[in-house]
Amino acid sequence: MTTVLNLHDIQGNVIKTYARDQFSYARYVFFGIMDETPGRQFVLDLIPLITTAAPWGRPADDGEELKKPEVTTNIAFTYHGLKRLNLPEESLHSFPEAFSMGMRERHAILGDTGISAPKFWDPVWNNADERVDIWLSINGKDEEAIEKRYAQILKILADSNGGVIQLRGHQGDNGANDLPYQDAAALRDSEGKPTPKEHFGYTDGISNPFFEGTLTDPAYVLGAGKPTRKSPKSPSGWEPLETGEFILGHRDEAKELPKAPMPRPLSYNGSYLVYRKLHENVGSFNRYIEEQGKNLPDGAEQVAAKFSGRWRNGAPITTFPTKEDADKFYEKVKEAKEEVGKAEGKIKRRARSKYVKLVSELVGFNYNDDLAGSRCPLGAHVRRANPRGALEFGVKGAFDTPGALTNRRRLLRRGLPYGKSDGNSGDDGNHGIIFMAVCASIERQFEFVQQQWINYGNDFKVANEKDPLIGNHEADDGQWSGHMVFPAEPGSGKAPHFCSGIPRFVEVRGGGYFFLPSLTALRLIGKGMVDPT
Amino acid sequence: MPKKNTSGNAYGLTLLCPIINGSKGDQSFAEILRDYLETLPIEDQSPMAKVPNTYLARFYILNDVFYEGFPIDEEHLKSKYLVLSSNFHGDRDTYVRGMWEADEADVKKIWQYCVAFDEVHTAEDFVEYVKKCQVDNNLFFNGSTDDSLAEQLKALYLKQEFTRFAYENRGLNAEELQKSFEKFVQRTQPSNLDGPSWSPGVPNEKLRPMTVISPSH
Repeated sequence: MTTVLNLHDIQGNVIKTYARDQFSYARYVFFGIMDETPGRQFVLDLIPLITTAAPWGRPADDGEELKKPEVTTNIAFTYHGLKRLNLPEESLHSFPEAFSMGMRERHAILGDTGISAPKFWDPVWNNADERVDIWLSINGKDEEAIEKRYAQILKILADSNGGVIQLRGHQGDNGANDLPYQDAAALRDSEGKPTPKEHFGYTDGISNPFFEGTLTDPAYVLGAGKPTRKSPKSPSGWEPLETGEFILGHRDEAKELPKAPMPRPLSYNGSYLVYRKLHENVGSFNRYIEEQGKNLPDGAEQVAAKFSGRWRNGAPITTFPTKEDADKFYEKVKEAKEEVGKAEGKIKRRARSKYVKLVSELVGFNYNDDLAGSRCPLGAHVRRANPRGALEFGVKGAFDTPGALTNRRRLLRRGLPYGKSDGNSGDDGNHGIIFMAVCASIERQFEFVQQQWINYGNDFKVANEKDPLIGNHEADDGQWSGHMVFPAEPGSGKAPHFCSGIPRFVEVRGGGYFFLPSLTALRLIGKGMVDPT
Repeated sequence: MPKKNTSGNAYGLTLLCPIINGSKGDQSFAEILRDYLETLPIEDQSPMAKVPNTYLARFYILNDVFYEGFPIDEEHLKSKYLVLSSNFHGDRDTYVRGMWEADEADVKKIWQYCVAFDEVHTAEDFVEYVKKCQVDNNLFFNGSTDDSLAEQLKALYLKQEFTRFAYENRGLNAEELQKSFEKFVQRTQPSNLDGPSWSPGVPNEKLRPMTVISPSH
C-alpha cells in the first residue's frame, strides 16, 4: 500500500534539499542547555519557526496553500541535549548506541584519525564543560534573510536568561577560531549566481535517494530509487525506496519498522542527522591530478573523473568515457536549458521534455556495462557511495534484487560548501563542505558506508583501497599511502593505471550525531510530556 | 448474554472519530488536535471531570495501525482518529447528553476537526454522532464498582474520614466515643450524596492528608 506521510509533522530538511529550492545560503548554530525548564521553553519558542516538509506553492486539497518562505529553520538534538532536557531515563536508553555515544566517541569506526582526530576539530566540539546539545540550521535565499532569522533566534535565546547558551568556537577565515556559528553557501559563478559546485570543482549533490511518500514527482525515481532488473535508463528500472530507511515509524527495506526510541510519538516521523565539517585540501588535490594527468590522454580532468566516477561537470564517466563526450553532453544540456528558457506554450513543453530526458542521463545508469571498471573504476567515489546494484558484479540473479546489498545503506545528503578557496593553490584556509546526511540508522547507513565503503575497498574487490577523494589516506614515514587502480578494458592489451601516494584530500574538522524529531515530538519534548510508560 | 459494552451498571464507551485530512497553516488538523489535547488540564480540572458519572476517560490520537512486519500485509488507515475511551455509570445516551451539557465549549473544541462534526449542533445531534463513531468495547476500568460516581466518591470519602475518625478517637470511653461519632455523622452526612464528598477527578495528593500518628501515641 502506498505510504501517505503527514508532511506537516516531518521536518523540512528530511524531504527537501533546500539548496535546490534556491536557499543557497546557510548558517548552522549550536547551543548548550544549562537548565531544563528554560531549555524546554527555548524549544517551544522555536517551534513556530521550524520548517516542515509540507509542499510549497501547491494548491492543497484541504488546508491552505503554503507559500515558499524567505528562510527555513530546523532543529536537532544530541543525546547529551536530550539528557539535559530531562527526557525520561527509559526513553534515553531506547536510543541506539551509535547516537548516544556520538560522533566523537565513534571516531575510530569513522576513520577520523591523524589530522582528522577529534582533538584537532574546531573548538566548539572540544569543550567538555559546554557540550553541543542543539543543532539549528537556517537556510536562506540571501544573507539578509539569514541575518533576520538569526536575530529572531538570538532574541528567543536571550529570553532563556542563560538557561540555553550559544556555543562559540567555529573556525573561519584568517585563523579565526571563535566564531559563534558556521556559515555555508553555494559557490558562485563569475556573475555571482549559485552553482552546484564544491571546492574541488565537482558538481555535487546530483543523486539523492527517492523514497515513498514524499509527494515528489514520481519521474524522479529514475536513478534515485532502488534498482530493478529493467533498464536503468527508464523509470521502470527503479522503484522508490521504503520510507523507513529515512523516517522512523515507517516500513523499511527489511519490511519492518526501524528500531526507534520509545515512546512511539517521540520517534514517529523523526530521523537522525549526521553533521560533518570537511575541510578540502584544494592545493594538494590540484597538484596531484595535474601530476597524475601527465600520463593520461585527458590529463588532470581524467584523473578527477576517475577519482569521482563523474567528470567535474557532472557527466557519469561510465556513460561518457572521454572528456570530449562529457563536454559535448554538457553543451547539449546547456543548450536545451536555454531553449526551455526562450520557448513558450507547446514548444516550451517539448523543450522541457527534451531537457528532462537529457538530464536523466546524469542519473539513469548503472555499471552493468562496465563491470571491470575500465570506464568508472571500481573504487571511484560515486561507485562506492551509491553502487547502483554494482555489488552483484554482473552475476545474473546473484541476489533477489540487484540492490540487495545497497538499499539499506542509502543516505539523504543535505549540505553546502563553506568558505572560499582563492587561487586553488593552497590547502590552508577556510574551505570545505558541511556534509549532512539524514538516515534512520546512523550505524547501518552512515557509519557502514564510511567504514566499509569509504575507508576500505573489500566490497568492491579493491582490497584496502580507500575512496580516493574522501578516504582517510595515512602518511607512513612522510609518504602518503593512498593508492588506486584505474582498470583497463579487459582484452584491450592496455595496461591499468596505478595511482599511488594519494594524500588526504579531505580532513574532518568537527561533527556530531543528532536526533531530528517530528513536530509532534518537538512539542512533547518542549512540554516535558515524553512518557515512555 | 450480557448487554454489549456493559458490565453491570458500568458502560464502556469507545469512540473512533475520523479526523479530517486537512491542514491549517502548516499544521495538520490531527496535530492541532493533539497539541490541544496535550494542553488540557487533568485531574479535577479536566473537562471530563465535569461530565457526570465518569469513572475514567482518556483521549488520544490514533495515527495509524501498527505494522507488524513481513509477511503480514502492510495496512494503513485512511485517516487519523480521535479516540475517546470512557467508563461510566449508566446508559450511553444519558452520558453523552451529559457531556454536551456539562461542557459544550470543550466538546466543540475537541471534535471540531472530526469528519461530519460540523453537522452536530445539539445534544441530540451529538448522541447520534457518537453512535456512528462507536466501536464495541470489552475492557473495563478495574478500579471501580458499577455504582453511580456520586455513590463511589461518597463511599471513598467516608472510608477515608472514618479511618481518620478511628485514629483520632482511640482510647476514649464509650460515652465520649458516641458523642464524637455523632459529630462525625453530622459532619460527613453519610446518607446525603449531595453532602460532603470527594469531587470528581481529585488526585490523591490534593485530598486532606491524614494526621501522622506515631505508634507510641
